Amino acid sequence: IEELEMRYTTSVDKGLTSSFAREVLERDGLNELKPPKGTPEYVKFARQLAGGLQCLMWVAAVICFIAFGIELGRGNLTSFDDLYLAIVLITVVVVTGCFGYYQEFKSTNIIASFKNLVPQQALVIRDGQKNQINANELVVGDLVEIKGGDRVPADIRIITSQGCKVDNSSLTGESEPQTRSPECTHENPLETRNVAFFSTTCLEGVATGVIINTGDRTIIGRIASLASGVGNEKTPIAIEIEHFVDIIAGLAIFFGFTFFVVAMFIGYAFLEAMIFFMAIVVAYVPEGLLATVTVSFTSTITSVCSTSVICSDKTGTLTQNRMTVAHLWFDNHVHAADTTEDQSGQSFDQSSETWRSLARVAALCNRAIFKPDQEGIPIPKRIVVGDASETALLKFTELTVGNTMDYRNRFKKIVEVPFNSTNKFQLSIHELEDPLDLRYLLVMKGAPERILERCSTILVKGQELPLDEQWSESFQTAYMDLGGLGERVLGFCHLYLNEKEFPRGYQFETDDMNFPTSGLCFAGLISMIDPPRATVPDAVMKCRTAGIRVIMVTGDHPITAKAIAANVGIISEGSETVEDIAQRKRIPVEQVNKSEARACVISGGQLKDMSSDELDEALRNHPEMVFARTSPQQKLIIVESCQRLGSIVAVTGDGVNDSPALKKADIGVAMGIAGSDAAKNAADMILLDDNFASIVTGVEQGRLIFDNLKKSIAYTLTKNIPELTPYLVYITVSVPLPLGCITILFIELATDIFPSVSLAYEKAESDIMHLKPRNPRRDRLVNEALAVYSYFQIGAIQSYAGFTDYFTAMAQEGWFPLLCVGLRGQWEDVKLQDLQDSYGQEWTYSQRLYQEYTCYTVFFVSIEICQIADVLIRKTRRLSAFQQGFFRNRVLVSAIVFQLCLGNLLCYCPGMPNIFNFMPIRVQWWFVPVPFGILIFVYDEIRKLGVRRHPGSWWDQELYY
Amino acid sequence: MSGNKDSDGGWKKFVWNSEKKEFLGRTGGSWFKILLFYLIFYGCLAGIFVGTIQALLLTLSKDKPTYQDRVAPPGLSHTPRSDKSEISFKKSDPSSYSKYVQSMNEFLEMYNETKQNRDFYEECGTLPDTYKDRSMEEKKKVCKFSRSLLKNCSGTDPDYGFMEGNPCVIIKLNRIVNFRPKAPSNNLSLELPVKVSPNEIPIYCKPKRAEDEGQIGEIKYYGIGQGFPLQYYPYYGKQLHPDYLQPLMAVQFVNVTEGKEIRIECKAFGDNIDYSEKDRYQGRFDIKLTVS
Repeated sequence: IEELEMRYTTSVDKGLTSSFAREVLERDGLNELKPPKGTPEYVKFARQLAGGLQCLMWVAAVICFIAFGIELGRGNLTSFDDLYLAIVLITVVVVTGCFGYYQEFKSTNIIASFKNLVPQQALVIRDGQKNQINANELVVGDLVEIKGGDRVPADIRIITSQGCKVDNSSLTGESEPQTRSPECTHENPLETRNVAFFSTTCLEGVATGVIINTGDRTIIGRIASLASGVGNEKTPIAIEIEHFVDIIAGLAIFFGFTFFVVAMFIGYAFLEAMIFFMAIVVAYVPEGLLATVTVSFTSTITSVCSTSVICSDKTGTLTQNRMTVAHLWFDNHVHAADTTEDQSGQSFDQSSETWRSLARVAALCNRAIFKPDQEGIPIPKRIVVGDASETALLKFTELTVGNTMDYRNRFKKIVEVPFNSTNKFQLSIHELEDPLDLRYLLVMKGAPERILERCSTILVKGQELPLDEQWSESFQTAYMDLGGLGERVLGFCHLYLNEKEFPRGYQFETDDMNFPTSGLCFAGLISMIDPPRATVPDAVMKCRTAGIRVIMVTGDHPITAKAIAANVGIISEGSETVEDIAQRKRIPVEQVNKSEARACVISGGQLKDMSSDELDEALRNHPEMVFARTSPQQKLIIVESCQRLGSIVAVTGDGVNDSPALKKADIGVAMGIAGSDAAKNAADMILLDDNFASIVTGVEQGRLIFDNLKKSIAYTLTKNIPELTPYLVYITVSVPLPLGCITILFIELATDIFPSVSLAYEKAESDIMHLKPRNPRRDRLVNEALAVYSYFQIGAIQSYAGFTDYFTAMAQEGWFPLLCVGLRGQWEDVKLQDLQDSYGQEWTYSQRLYQEYTCYTVFFVSIEICQIADVLIRKTRRLSAFQQGFFRNRVLVSAIVFQLCLGNLLCYCPGMPNIFNFMPIRVQWWFVPVPFGILIFVYDEIRKLGVRRHPGSWWDQELYY
Repeated sequence: MSGNKDSDGGWKKFVWNSEKKEFLGRTGGSWFKILLFYLIFYGCLAGIFVGTIQALLLTLSKDKPTYQDRVAPPGLSHTPRSDKSEISFKKSDPSSYSKYVQSMNEFLEMYNETKQNRDFYEECGTLPDTYKDRSMEEKKKVCKFSRSLLKNCSGTDPDYGFMEGNPCVIIKLNRIVNFRPKAPSNNLSLELPVKVSPNEIPIYCKPKRAEDEGQIGEIKYYGIGQGFPLQYYPYYGKQLHPDYLQPLMAVQFVNVTEGKEIRIECKAFGDNIDYSEKDRYQGRFDIKLTVS
């Protein structure tokens, strides 16, 4: 303490002088968490507007403006198409940018919640006087006083304490209140008892202490900066989309540039070639895709799809987070109690006389009480005042005996000795229920070995038998068995006090213990555990079949952890740890072949001594891992190790100091109920019910969405080819332009959006939980097969459909296909008002222009019809569309109807020709592409049939995406 | 297209992997298979495409187009053509109008009398007459139209009046298969200051803007009557009527005020001749004339 005074030039009685405090305040700054220096908001927004595709679209828009400007400068304002195009492109970029910005904004307000943790006022002693000051003015060396209910204003070294307990749950996740006293109990500041941490809550008692850290230098401040220092790992799906967008942007530039050069070679003017470049970019870039993906697919659930490892907490996630009586031992038998959440399990035989005594001890020797007015609530859910094991016992007796409170009233309590760590027992003395029986009853519970020491008899089937060697041995076996299950075991015993020695009115002194505390009668053992949630074993099984590894990371004792792990299936039946094998073979641990052990339990202590290589090695060798007694900081190490091994890691967490691990993990999962705000902010996903099974459901959903996203992208990509080929043919063969840029934008941004979104509602094709998690390096969202199949096969058929319809419309109006070839120059000659068609008829420029618009519309309709076939084939990747059912996805059906209606509206709404270049086309031109649509459907059915019939064949490898 | 470039070997290895003998991620056999597949695939597609186009062509008549809704009503076009329908030249500078003169010479080439003496040409009279239905004719005959009918604008003056500042413009009604233009009924004739025959589609030109009135001394019309005589119609299409000559009309602008841009609108009148806001050459046109 003197050292403390020296170090912080303070006094434990009087505190700092206020002038010195002011100096320190100036030196160290306010006692607040500073938000990390983030990138300014406008930079973030600008970054959203400057992605690969976005840049490309900016360039296209600028070219449009230039083209428009040049036309304007020449004085012939024939059309505003270029201007429209530029505006639409910019709008698309800005709108998708806003979406992206909003998404990012949601994920970056982590520090905001740390701010909420700062206490408002603090009681500080300066100049020997108590002052109430704002907590942010505290400085190092200040002497502060905290009492129950306060938030700790800074990191404090406790100097005096009276029953001070703090709730560290926001920091470490430990939910039990922890005592704070002046003694140093541990070297690690996090473990020691004499430091109370900034932002934790003082539950009861009073303490004074010296501030040792303020602001960002406090433990929580360091975690805050650590959390923001750990780079925000992009979710796997974001990486996938980025990867895909880069490829698209690269290809668009490649195509655009190639044809720019080709056009220059053929002899087009520079400006014309630039416009070709722009048009190719517009045709090739899937403008609507960004919007579709952002709107319908970037729900965070998508990110869990590729999870291959889940690091789960135990308490609350795998378990119910409430101590429950699991086993009883009396009459030399182990009886199992019902641990299910809804009390639906089997009960045990309650007819024995011993059971009644045991239940009586359990009910009486218990300080826990129900909070009043909870009659309507089921017993397991009622709120109890008392510690975890007493709560468990209270609920247990309430369930088995009934109305414990009334029962206690009947046995009036005379005196009690509460549990303390030296005695390791708790006892109380009661009057008996029967008013004629004037004996007192002494009941006692505590650590089983201590209880046994004090007993001389044992109750068996209601008979008091002497406690001999044999009974001791069977007691030991039972105790070891229950302990081996990871359960907390308590022993119970009682004694009727002789009414002569202890008549009514006898003064029992708890300090002197003027009553017998040995020679008691042993009643039985009751063991408690925090039982696993009912749904968890199934969920763990599901993970196993889905190739997902579940690793338990808990602060609990290794034995408990292992027992729960075995219980829920994280350690499967028949798996052994190195220690188990050693025990079975009766050989030292060192001689065991480590690869034989499937399971492994590593405690925090061992973990501390392991190098990261050793940890990797352990994770690689043992498929079933349990980490016990780990500090939340070690979670980060485990996560990093898993990531080094190439896994996509999901991590659950609730405490503030889990947030670095949550951020580091590919998918951070915060607990919705128990989780602190900081954890929730750092997480990618929040579990509303804190249930592990929900993560698995999430994975299932995520995998489905990933599959559907693939389908949606395949659908979207396909039409880029029939949008691109008209330009290529136009440039190289010089036919009149079959498809205009504005029409392309209508396909991209209007008619095809809804169908591509509707694919998100597609049902799973097969049991997706029986597949291995995807390998993020190999199974990309957009793989070669998908792109090739969409572009060069389906896209090609669509292009042919478009051109067939185009040539039909041209030929029926008088322009035969062969005449069209090379016609471009004359066709687009504004001066030429009498161009002859195949019949010798003469066309004015405007007549030709409307004919060109007719072609645009016809090509548009062809793409629409083919896209309907496309969306139908994209419903499945492997199954036949007939197996999947055509009408089960209602959204998709309505999307097709919507698409057709919109197409009709665009074609036949008056005024369209001059605004958006759509012409009312002849009805039969709608049907020209239909055979091609059927061809697409049939071809894809053949493809799927081949894929199903011959898995692994050449056909499967090349055509399954 | 795949993510192969990310793998350890990088680009070079991706292009040529000597270990596995892979070029761009595929072995020779694999390339052969995939290329063969695409050869067959595109072969089939091309076959289907050519087949459908052939089938389409079979459904089309050689003689008359399936639909004519885009090309009718007919446009009215003029020679010489010009950028932004401007005709501007300097009287004193022949090079400023040589391109106009040349294009008119080229255009009138096929109206030379020497080209019209084969036996399927017939005289159709110099007065407007009614339609000549040739649907029964095995070999459709063609009405002669001699360029000499255009008088001052026929090329007798090799400069077509440009040198004197009295430029000629030749007007024709765009050809449409089987189209029978209808002469204007009475209410339409009201717009016309001159009396016209009921068997012709009259042409009338006038300054478009009120302030240009009086800037032109006279507008002279040469041809048969005041416009296009109906005996030249209908046209039976390139296939049946290969050497068809459509009637012409020449307009000469005499005494044009010099150094001033004058907008002149020429209109064809007929019951089935229409005008459109969007198509400035449908049934009419306007030119900007600047003589200096």
